Amino acid sequence: MLDRIRRPWSDRRAELVLGAAACLLAIGIVTMIVFVVRGAWPTFSHDGFSWLGSHGSVDSRIGAMQNTSANPAASAYQIGIWPLIYGTLLSAGLAVALALAVALAASIFIVDFAPPAVRRTMTPVIRLLAAVPSVLYGLIGVLLLVPFTNHLVTQQQKASVAYVIQLSGGGVAVVVLLLAVMITPIMTALITDALESVPRPWREGAIALGLNPLRATLAVSVRAIRPAIVGAVGLATARAIGEAIVVSMASGGASFSPNPTDGVVFWFEPFETAASTIVRNADGLSAPVLHSTLYAIAALLLFSSFMLSLAAYLVKLPLRRYQVSN
Amino acid sequence: MRRPRRLLAFAIAAAVLAITVPVAFAAQIITLSGATASFPLLEQLTAKYATLQHNKIRFSVSQGGASVGIADVGAGKVDIGDSSRGPQAGDPPNLYFYPIAKYFVCVVTNKSNPIANLTESQVQQIFEGKVRNWSQVSGSSLSTTIDVQSRTSVAGVLTTFQNTLLGGGKVASPPATAWASEGLEQQAVEKDPNAIGFLSDYFAVNNKLNAVAYNGTACSVANAVNETYPGWSFFYEVTKGPKSGTEGKFINWIQTSKPAKKIIETNWIPLTITKPVSG
Amino acid sequence: MAQSESAQAPQLLPPRRSRGRRSSLFSWRARDQAVFALAWITGIGLCLVVAAIVLLFATKGFDYLRPDLLFSRPSAAVNQAQSGGFLDPIEGTVMLGILGLAIAAPLGVITAVWVVEYGRPRWLSRIVESAVEVIAGTPDVVLAIFGLALFELGIFAPLSFSSPGGAFGRSFLTSGIIVSAVAIPSVYTATRNGLIATPRQLREASYALGKTRIATIRRVVLPAVRRDIATGATLGLGRIIGDTAIVILLLGATLRTQTESGTPLLGLLRGTGSTLTSYIYNNSPSGEGNAPNKAYAAAAFLLLLILLLNWGVGRIGRIGGPPIHEERRLGA
Repeated sequence: MLDRIRRPWSDRRAELVLGAAACLLAIGIVTMIVFVVRGAWPTFSHDGFSWLGSHGSVDSRIGAMQNTSANPAASAYQIGIWPLIYGTLLSAGLAVALALAVALAASIFIVDFAPPAVRRTMTPVIRLLAAVPSVLYGLIGVLLLVPFTNHLVTQQQKASVAYVIQLSGGGVAVVVLLLAVMITPIMTALITDALESVPRPWREGAIALGLNPLRATLAVSVRAIRPAIVGAVGLATARAIGEAIVVSMASGGASFSPNPTDGVVFWFEPFETAASTIVRNADGLSAPVLHSTLYAIAALLLFSSFMLSLAAYLVKLPLRRYQVSN
Repeated sequence: MRRPRRLLAFAIAAAVLAITVPVAFAAQIITLSGATASFPLLEQLTAKYATLQHNKIRFSVSQGGASVGIADVGAGKVDIGDSSRGPQAGDPPNLYFYPIAKYFVCVVTNKSNPIANLTESQVQQIFEGKVRNWSQVSGSSLSTTIDVQSRTSVAGVLTTFQNTLLGGGKVASPPATAWASEGLEQQAVEKDPNAIGFLSDYFAVNNKLNAVAYNGTACSVANAVNETYPGWSFFYEVTKGPKSGTEGKFINWIQTSKPAKKIIETNWIPLTITKPVSG
Repeated sequence: MAQSESAQAPQLLPPRRSRGRRSSLFSWRARDQAVFALAWITGIGLCLVVAAIVLLFATKGFDYLRPDLLFSRPSAAVNQAQSGGFLDPIEGTVMLGILGLAIAAPLGVITAVWVVEYGRPRWLSRIVESAVEVIAGTPDVVLAIFGLALFELGIFAPLSFSSPGGAFGRSFLTSGIIVSAVAIPSVYTATRNGLIATPRQLREASYALGKTRIATIRRVVLPAVRRDIATGATLGLGRIIGDTAIVILLLGATLRTQTESGTPLLGLLRGTGSTLTSYIYNNSPSGEGNAPNKAYAAAAFLLLLILLLNWGVGRIGRIGGPPIHEERRLGA
């Protein structure tokens, strides 16, 4: 029998075997969707879409869910996770906006203005920044940044929200900063690659017409790589939405909806995201109601990451006529 | 052509041997999970029992909170659940709670805010979020915002605190910060001069924190024994169905043997010391 | 100035090229100058941020990391701050890395080979490519929670150990399988790019000699992209050992490596334990821990590992000369 395996394979057999192995990934994804939705089904069937709204404190509902018996009533599944959705969108949105600005500026710097020695060191620097594990960023957050911001928050600011929430340093500002530092290298690498693949004559033509180098880059190269920018933004948003560890370590731990009208205090208010809620409450998966709630949140995350890739693909379609990489 | 075949046969034989032989040397494992308040006690008890059994039994103890332990044992994930609260409506069915030790809960403040005593209504107002500034609390010289530290809802210590010292009320959280373990809440109160919280005795009674008397009664072992201090409860070991098998023997050992009692006495109150019957 | 100089000097030297006034920085509009300054600031700023991070963990590591920590086992959890090392988390990280890579590397390479070299029917190949993209974009918490649901089924009990409610579901094997998913996109992309970049002539020469397609792939093409595979695998390994969420949910969170009953190797794989990442998380103020010094020490060590891996990626790229698809074209 071993001889039969060791004889040279025919192309047909090889193609089938390799194809089957390659399809394992697609099958894996389908299995993942099936299992996650199956685990989440009790919550969906009991709550319907009202689950996405706001029904009071998420923390207290999750707390109550830890204590339910094996045959819970329909009302036990009641929860409104809007604060989590809001926290996710807020932190990811602000972080991506900040990271986009920084990444564009840094990419233009690398491609156009950096002296060759600096450019050579930037590549390993960016790659290293991208490789730092998220738990290290979380550690920096919780051991350095949170005590630092706690120092910055004045007593009056704490007293102004004292009856609603307790400020302890962790919150919007720290998390947005950490997330931005995490996703900037990814975006920078993608945008730099794309900028370098713009044909040189395009930009040189702009310079020949009298634009200065910066204007030429902005007018020609950056416009030409718009598909790549969209792709980078999509990838970075997916990363920011799914980041659970940094948020759970540095966000202050209360599922509160930070209020922009609070002024400066807004940046110090704690919040929770969907992903961090799953990690925080992972111990309690034995309780059936909490189990299905957490799976429902995971299903929401899965759905949103699908939608994000789809959206990035759709946005890139009309930009394809520029024909520059990606 | 023949050498690879021999190598392959040898590899298969080695794998089969590796899988089948050492089954005889397996140690039995008992899994526990649950309360962070009783974790220091269980760590010592399980270590002692394992050595007494000549390491034929191994323990795997994890934390997570009393309700997590109860849910885990109800779902069959672990053998024994550690709980710092008694049974509640809403717990999984068919659970048996075996008390192993008595503990008590103290209200604690930071060392720089050495409040000697708080009345019942003061404790209720502070933890229920009605009073938010130290200047409104007599006995404190601070005038800053009160940073209330509490536990997450899975904590048995929270249940005990709410039932006994809050008279059935609930800690308002937010604005209180909910910590996932006793150790974390202890750290929070240690570091923040404006903090107030509640901790089980192992974590509260030390020279890093200020334990506050309640309605004039000091928070101490003696007052918990004679039950003049109201904030006490039991640690339970929870099993699904009546205790049996190796877990049952372990629980019996904790409840009856001398080495176990010596361990419990170090920081908690053994069950054999009861309130002396008057008269 | 330069133009007048070159007009005066005799034509022995080539005229000095002047940049002209228009492209001098000082002639730009203020807004452009601001953007220019911003670009420089962000570029240098990124370098400074990296330097700050590395310096921070280097100094903290210097303060707290001692060699005996690397070789002693963690002590009881309540005493984490006082004693004990993190040998078990290091073991866990190594095991998880090997397991994850052992699954991710073959799967990623095979998928890339099939997509590039065969790839029929076309709709299937597009589905597979999208599948890899989807895996790359899925948050690791979702992967972890899927793993829990999957491996708690009774039929997967041999992968962890059975409990009265089905299977426990948490072990090195189960977390290794799930964590390989975060490395597959790296291996796939690197291999695919390498395969696309190998010149057609290489394959055609092999066909001309009578080899079948699969033999060509196995004996000619794959060795040519060895370096890309190695780069992709190293990048994937970096992502595996840096992953925290999957470990927290799927590895049972016991401080020490606990082997399941039975065999030495299989029991180890079926048992629970911790890795450096979950150790750091648990010892930080977000876990149950009380030992920020230990967290810093473990973090410094982890960063060192990542730095070594990154340096390794750079070195692999340069072993043995330029990769085959950059050499002189055949026959040229």
